[in-house]
Amino acid sequence: MTITTRFSEEADEKRLVEWLLQPGIMHWFPLADLREVEDAARIWMSYIKMKGVLTALWDGTPCGTALLYLSPYKKMAHQCLFAIIVDEKFRGKKVGTQLLTDLISLAQETHHIELLHLEVYEGNPATRLYERLGFVEYGRERHFIKEGKDHYLTKVMMQKVLS
Amino acid sequence: MDLPGFDIRYSEEGDLSFMEGWFAEPHVCDGFPFTYEEREFPLKNWIGFSKYKASLTGMVEGQPVAVGTLFLMPYRKVAHHSSFYLIVDAKWRRKGIGTSMVKNLLHLAQVRFRLESVHVEIFLPNPLVSVVKKVGFVPFAEQEGAIKIEGKLASRLLLEKFFV
Repeated sequence: MTITTRFSEEADEKRLVEWLLQPGIMHWFPLADLREVEDAARIWMSYIKMKGVLTALWDGTPCGTALLYLSPYKKMAHQCLFAIIVDEKFRGKKVGTQLLTDLISLAQETHHIELLHLEVYEGNPATRLYERLGFVEYGRERHFIKEGKDHYLTKVMMQKVLS
Repeated sequence: MDLPGFDIRYSEEGDLSFMEGWFAEPHVCDGFPFTYEEREFPLKNWIGFSKYKASLTGMVEGQPVAVGTLFLMPYRKVAHHSSFYLIVDAKWRRKGIGTSMVKNLLHLAQVRFRLESVHVEIFLPNPLVSVVKKVGFVPFAEQEGAIKIEGKLASRLLLEKFFV
């Protein structure tokens, strides 16, 4: 078994939509239906042309993707928000660790990012991965996600200084 | 507020030309993520919210002097809150216009859009911090080094106000 990463390709957009639609996954994203998932996937993959998206491969099979939301503005170009998703069939196999490690290298070496940050919803098990890789919390926004009439999720903001 | 001739109306696409003039003033762009050279797309996006009646224009004697806008969220699970942007013509600062604009934006958010909270991102230092704190915003995050202007790092302060 080998986990590798490569730059994402347009064909990966369909896979991303499938992964976002897997049971329970949308709970961890601000997305509620197919229209929103397709819109988010289109935006995610629009960063391919800036070399900001990686796809993880498990023995050659795509199993996850991670994205650098590279800023179009000069004053913000040194910092970057990212997002990551792993196909549920490949969870617990260190795919997230490999993907995020390679994304950090891409951020630092290719895009000269000095501050990498993320947004995660309270209770998301991925938080442990972020902590293990050195991300620290710098704020939280209560009631960020609203599901149903009165169920809310807090958004936790974490960051890692890369240089 | 008691500034003679001051009034507020919904923004119109045509207000963009006034905003472009305000952003041409020295250092005005320092409070925003974009530079003057990069202004075209973000300002078009900004005034684009006028078609949803989510943007207000402050006027003095019929002349636009400020634009404040709710950046409504595109996805359902986050549609109960929004951020806002505000610009006041540098010539009309320190007259209470900013405070009045923020108060009217909050009213718009609560009454027209039935939002539960509004948040704002401010690059420090910025006089807008005292304006929003005065009307009840509280900080919930500060990110050091979030913006770099001519090699100098500055912080991004995030504040929120809940209606419920």
